[in-house]
Parts: sequence; structure tokens; C-alpha cells
Amino acid sequence: MSDYFTWLGVVLCLLMLMALYRTVIGPTIIDRIMGANVIGTKTVVLLIIIGTIFGRVEMFVDIALAYAMLNFIVTIAASRYFTHHKNILQEGYGLRHRPGGPKD
Amino acid sequence: MIWQIDLLILTLIVICGFCTIVVKDLLGAAVIFGAYSFLMCLLWTEMGAVDVAFTEASVGAGVSTVLFFAAVHRTTRHVKMKPSGRLMGKTIGLAAAGLMGCVLLYATTDFPSWADPNSPASTHVSPRYITGTIPDTSVPNMVTSVLADYRGFDTMFETAVILTAGLAVLIILGQTGNRSPLPISRLPQGPITQGYDDTIIRFITRIMTPFLQLFALYVIAHGHHSPGGGFQGGVILGATFILMSISYDLRMVTNRFNERTNLLLANTGLLIYSGIGALCLILGANFLDYSALAKILPGTTTITARSEAMLGVEIGVALAVMAIVILIYNNLVSNGTYENGL
Repeated sequence: MSDYFTWLGVVLCLLMLMALYRTVIGPTIIDRIMGANVIGTKTVVLLIIIGTIFGRVEMFVDIALAYAMLNFIVTIAASRYFTHHKNILQEGYGLRHRPGGPKD
Repeated sequence: MIWQIDLLILTLIVICGFCTIVVKDLLGAAVIFGAYSFLMCLLWTEMGAVDVAFTEASVGAGVSTVLFFAAVHRTTRHVKMKPSGRLMGKTIGLAAAGLMGCVLLYATTDFPSWADPNSPASTHVSPRYITGTIPDTSVPNMVTSVLADYRGFDTMFETAVILTAGLAVLIILGQTGNRSPLPISRLPQGPITQGYDDTIIRFITRIMTPFLQLFALYVIAHGHHSPGGGFQGGVILGATFILMSISYDLRMVTNRFNERTNLLLANTGLLIYSGIGALCLILGANFLDYSALAKILPGTTTITARSEAMLGVEIGVALAVMAIVILIYNNLVSNGTYENGL
């Protein structure tokens, strides 16, 4: 049974890799925020799974609860940021530096 | 320690750390750094350091990324690059960093392996804490007893460092230069501005905030038995106020919880901690030797008095941390004017 949860965790980590791809490459900031949010959601589940593997779920539930409750603050902060600054879809914010650069 | 999950998480962490440096968009870097914090929390959980993981969870999810956003909001979003450095200098720098990394990697081969029971750290002082925490203090979570009792001095000065950090932000950003010496009387006391009207966000915030604060109080009070304690609970409490000031208005929070209250609470927190220590001194024991408090706390022995005093200390830490988190956020997001926030 513990083996089952271990492989469950591995699969979730691999799915996390896909979300991380969007976070790292993501052409716009919205893609990055969505990717980071998905990683956060998977973290909540993985915490519980690790707790189950260790046989001490009651220790790990608190951390998962803290994540589940606090994870949305960043998203709200980002949406507020973009009500002040209208530069969501601007070019030049990718991984590579482009000559000219973005304008705020 | 589960090596399959461990390997994957470490790989993800390296990718995140690299990209945080490389990405030119500061907002994007802040978001990737948030993902890095999630992964670090997982790594610590999986190594069994549950209290550390909890701290990372509350700080990483609730506060740090929002503070970065506030800083970017008041400064600028993109890094100004010089056209291109000299290729020679870059190559030398890369080679030096790589060489240093190789030397450090070589040094790690001398380290004892992970969770080695014969390593010096596990044979010298840890057994005393592990075997002594229940007979000495009657606290089941030994991290709490080490943090607040055995190493009480360290934690007291950590709290002082947090207070200093808040004061530094206030000195740099608080606009005191051309006004009265302390920026306390300059707070705007006007009505709450109706800047945005997001029904869903406001409704969710209104519903969630009491539960979040209750959870934070539980984390503080239950730190003796499960992961958690003053730092984590204080950060969660501060995060609820940040959430309110984001989803309503900065003024709604500062009207109810102004800078004077904040400073007062931060100082009170540290005063509670050092006051408990001084009380032990007055009662004829060493500074922060809580067993002396059994003389004045009814119904306690010298052992359970230490447990009770630890709760008092944790409350002091939580007050200081909460007030400083709110203070730093308010000053960062409004550039020290307290007029309008994110």
C-alpha cells in the first residue's frame, strides 16, 4: 500500500513538471500565475500523500490546510496589480532578453 | 525519505532557482520564486522537518510573493540590462563560479549521510533534547521545546531581528523627513474609498477571514502538540490582514489597525517575551528559566510551568510577527504614504 502512494506521489511530481513548464516558459504573466497555482494545488495533495506514507497524517494536515487557505492571496494580488498597470500581454517578458525591451 | 519523489522535487527546485535568476520580468520571477517555495516546503516535509515546512508554507504562500508584488507595483517591472558585457569577463566569472561549485560538491563527500545516527550532530546534543523534552518540559513537540525553552535566547533575538526589519522598512519608506518626528499623526482617517467593487472576491474574503484567523490562533496554541507556533500563526494572522487590504482597500485596514497600533503590538510582543524572561530573573532563577514561574502560576509544577510559559512566549512572538508583517506590507505597497494600496 505504501508503494502505491509512493508511485502516486511520483506521478503527481511528473504532472507538476508540466505545470512548471508553463510557469517557466509562459509567454505572459497570466500563464505563469496559473502554472504556479496548479503547482500549489498539487503541493496540497502531495503533502497529504507524504503524510500517509509516513503514517502521520495528522502532522501534515495543518500544513496542507495552510496552503489551501492562503494559496489564493497571490492570485488576487496579481489581479489587483493589473488593474493599475495595463501591460499583461506586452512582448519582451519571455525568457530571452529582447532588444528594445518592454515599456511599462 | 522517499528517493523517487526526492529526486523529482530536487530537479524541479533546480529548474525553478535557475529560472528565477534568468527571467527578466520581475513579476514573473516573483511567481516562479513562489513555485520554488512550494517545492522547498515539499522537500522539507519529505525529510521530516515538519515545523520548517510549516514556516515555509505560511510565509511562501501568504506573504513573500505578495510583498514582491507590492515592491514591483511601486518600482518597475523590468530589469534594465546593459547592452552586453565583455565576453571575456563573463567567461571568467562563469569559470570561477563553476570551479567554486565543484570544490563545494567535493566537500560534501566528507559529510555524514542523511539521517546518519552516528554523525556528530546526532550523537552530541540531540539525544539530550530527544530524551529530555518530556521529563523536563512535558511538551510533546520537541521542536517547540528546543525553540522556546532550551534555545530561548536565540528565539528572543530572532523576534528582535524581525522587529528591527520592520523598523528599517519604516525608516526607509516612512515619510518622516519633512514632517513630525514620528509618522503616527499623519494617518488618513477618511471614509473607505470604493475603488473597486468585486462582489465575489469581497464575499469570499468576508467568509474566509474569520476561519483563517481562527486557524492561525489554533496554530499558535497547538504548537506544543503539532507543527506550528508563534512564527507560523503570526504570519497567517498578518496574511489575513493583507488579504483584506487587497480585496477591500488599504484604508479599510489602516483605519481599524493603524500604524500606532501596529508599532505598539510589535513592541508588546517582544516585551511579553523578554518580560517573561525578566520575571524568572525576579523570582530568583536565571533569565528565561521558566521553572521559576511555578511559584506564581497556580496549579503548576516546575515542569508544567515551563510548558505554560512557552505558550506565553509563543503569543508574544505571534503578536510581533503579525504586526511587523502588516507594517512592512502597508509601507511597501503605499510607498510609505498609506494613501492607496494595491
